Amino acid sequence: MHINYWQETKNDFFGKLGLILITLIVVLAILAPLLTSYQPQAYTDTAFSPPSWQHLLGTNDVGQDIWTRLLYGARTSLIVGCGAAVLSILISVLAGCTAALFGGLYDRLMMRLVDAMIVIPPVIVVILVAAYLRPNTLLMIVLIAVFLWPGGARVIRAQTLSLKERMHVAAARTFGAGWLHLLVHHIIPDLGPVIVATMIRDARRAIFMEAGLSFLGISDPSVISWGKMMQHALRFSYLNVWKWWLLPPGFALSLLICAFTFLGFSLEKILNPRLRKGVSHAGD
Amino acid sequence: MLEIKNLKVSYNELNILKGIDLSLNKGESLAVIGETGAGKTTLSLSIMGLIEGHCTGEILFQGENLLSLPEDELRLLRGRRIAMVFQDVEAALHPLYTIRQQIIEAILVHGEKDRDFAAEHTRQLLARVGLDERRGDSYPHQLSGGEKQKALICIALANDPDVLILDEPTAALDALTKAEIINLLRKEAKERITLVITHDIDAAAKLAERIAVMYAGRILEMGPTEELLEQPMHPYTRGLLRSYPNMTTTKDLQGIPGRMSHRVEGCPFHTRCTQKIAVCGHDVPELQKKNSRYLACHRGGIIPLLEVKNISSNIDKVEILHSVDINLYEGETLALVGESGSGKTTLAKTIMGLFTAKQGEIFLEEKPVIQRKKEFFERVQMVFQNPGESISHRMNVYQAVKEPLDIHGSRASESEKQEKVKKVLDEVELTGDDEYLKKYPHHLSGGEAQRVAIARALVLDPKLIIADEPTSALDASIQAKILRLFLDLQEERGLALLLITHDIALARKVSDRMAVMLQGTIVEEGPTSEIVNNPLHPYTKCLIEVAPTMSREISEPLETNSREEDHETETDFQKGSSDSQQNCPFIRRCPHPLPRCFQDKPELKTCSVHRVACFRHTVHWPT
Repeated sequence: MHINYWQETKNDFFGKLGLILITLIVVLAILAPLLTSYQPQAYTDTAFSPPSWQHLLGTNDVGQDIWTRLLYGARTSLIVGCGAAVLSILISVLAGCTAALFGGLYDRLMMRLVDAMIVIPPVIVVILVAAYLRPNTLLMIVLIAVFLWPGGARVIRAQTLSLKERMHVAAARTFGAGWLHLLVHHIIPDLGPVIVATMIRDARRAIFMEAGLSFLGISDPSVISWGKMMQHALRFSYLNVWKWWLLPPGFALSLLICAFTFLGFSLEKILNPRLRKGVSHAGD
Repeated sequence: MLEIKNLKVSYNELNILKGIDLSLNKGESLAVIGETGAGKTTLSLSIMGLIEGHCTGEILFQGENLLSLPEDELRLLRGRRIAMVFQDVEAALHPLYTIRQQIIEAILVHGEKDRDFAAEHTRQLLARVGLDERRGDSYPHQLSGGEKQKALICIALANDPDVLILDEPTAALDALTKAEIINLLRKEAKERITLVITHDIDAAAKLAERIAVMYAGRILEMGPTEELLEQPMHPYTRGLLRSYPNMTTTKDLQGIPGRMSHRVEGCPFHTRCTQKIAVCGHDVPELQKKNSRYLACHRGGIIPLLEVKNISSNIDKVEILHSVDINLYEGETLALVGESGSGKTTLAKTIMGLFTAKQGEIFLEEKPVIQRKKEFFERVQMVFQNPGESISHRMNVYQAVKEPLDIHGSRASESEKQEKVKKVLDEVELTGDDEYLKKYPHHLSGGEAQRVAIARALVLDPKLIIADEPTSALDASIQAKILRLFLDLQEERGLALLLITHDIALARKVSDRMAVMLQGTIVEEGPTSEIVNNPLHPYTKCLIEVAPTMSREISEPLETNSREEDHETETDFQKGSSDSQQNCPFIRRCPHPLPRCFQDKPELKTCSVHRVACFRHTVHWPT
């Protein structure tokens, strides 16, 4: 009856790969101070040094250790990714579920808002806003979430529309349950897998957007970010240092996004019964 | 003319009769029914002046108060003007005298000197009651129960009394003898005042024109026999009728919970009553006249719990219900039967507010239901057709049963809630141990899941449960248990049931009344036994024809009438509601339609105890 999503994910190759990669990056980010002897902001006297035992991935124009900055940059990516995913899913669930439950004019207004939001190209608006605000990490999360929620809200509304016709929801209504009770006890538990899948997709997009915005140089300059590292490196492309400086953040970013993609891919397979063969159930 | 005014009798400070008012004219008969210990025999003995307890009030016999008469004068009346057939035939006759001697004694005691006349009269009496002349010389132990009863009747009739009191005249007699005795008594009771004391409702109905229901020394209800038996107004009367096995009603026997006590404040029945309110506990209800009935109840008799008036309901512009009217009384089962698609479930969901009605009103306990707040759901609950699906698969048994309590935000602590959950699970005969509470719906069998669903509905203590095909997913033995459970709950809590089913055989066993639904209208409604034994509407007849039996016979399926007509109504139905309203909903399958049936839609009209929507049974047939 209950599909054991965790077990299913672990059994799937892509799921496993994605989980391992994400875990690896999270561990590296958390243990950053232990894995390097430098401070990310600290200047050393050697600039533009190629990889050596002293500087594993070399140094940049002002002599900062690239390996160290890569580790600390992972923190930014993960925080922004997860933060934006959590914030946007909250908005999605609230908007999607209430639209489906209440219906009527509220539903129509909400869905037209979602349509409108989806039509607006997020990057351009964020660039415009960010150019004025110079956002720090928190503001960045909020900005990204504001543009991520409409997609999720649509999926969740569709799912809720089908869930609210279930008999147990009708039964709860005959006990006199209000919409909040229905939402918390009947709709959201059954939305769980959809929510997880949407969050993973949102996290992936948030990480990519954060990197992109940093690359364009419109985020808070004090934040260490992979996007910003690439932006800096590009300025010194004539010095032929790009392979030591540009490749590591680019590679790390691709790896993290790939990890999320793999996980999302395997979850999709688990959630869609037609894509899978054997299924593990809870208690197996 | 016998009149009893405010008669009170007590033994050793215990009040047995607490104010009885009765009046009987010549030729009238009254039966007093009630459980053992209600004070029925005390009433009869106090009229006879044979009571040992303390009597107050008045018993007026032709203007004389029997209670104030001295014993000598009373003795002249007793046996001559007022005679009694005593209960317990074994003990009432003297074992050492022959029957004839005992009858002659009754005649001689009242001043008759002529022994020959007495002997002759005795012979006549024996012939009148159908007792063989020669049996007169037998001793009581040589006679059968029926013969002894006849002998006792002879003694009572010996002096041609004006008042005949019959105390359990048919108890302990076999059915054939009983029928004989009843026939005899009915003949003899003419031109006299007859008071029948019995717990046998059949005997009461056959011997008396009026029935009084006595409980703990008070009369709770009194009225013309037929009316009272057809439509009891007091919950106690209904309880008595429900527990009485007979050939008329089809519902399973139900008892009355609790025991009778004479030391109860307020309404004597309130401790056992399922519709009591605060006032019942401290005020004694007066016996009040209502049309031809007398009733002592603070709530005006069995209350109408749910009234659905003229409800119409649409789903996506197709009218599913066309002005449906149903009533449901406290503690009653109303079965809503009909084929699938007739709108039964829609009606249930409309009552629960899952669908909104296009028009019409719903009353709960005589108050209109406008917005369904939590109070409504505390009174009315629904059990859904598929128990497994009506419980969220993410909730275990405990969470599922506790859910209504959580919703109603009762301030009860978790442990109190747990107690309540366990109690209600016990009520539906499920174990409340921790392991069971942790089971999920898919771990449960169909019967168990349905019990859990019922427990969920019961946990809020509702007065009405709408059960939508509660047993259609279960096999027969489990179904029987579930229905037994419903009936037991009805008995204990006065739960009213709106049972939605397509199975008329099942409805027959559990319902008091039945409403037959066809294409969103009620086509026939009435007491279940009447509907089943004497259906009026052709659709009901079909349903009964195809109902389960234990024989190999099969019934022919109904053929639709002409093809053209069929086609027409089909398109009418597709077009929507307005056109299909123009003829009888059963027209396509009716075996003998009238021309009028094609043009008009019959309305539900009263026809004997039924209400039926069929032109063939309309009382006022227009020419």
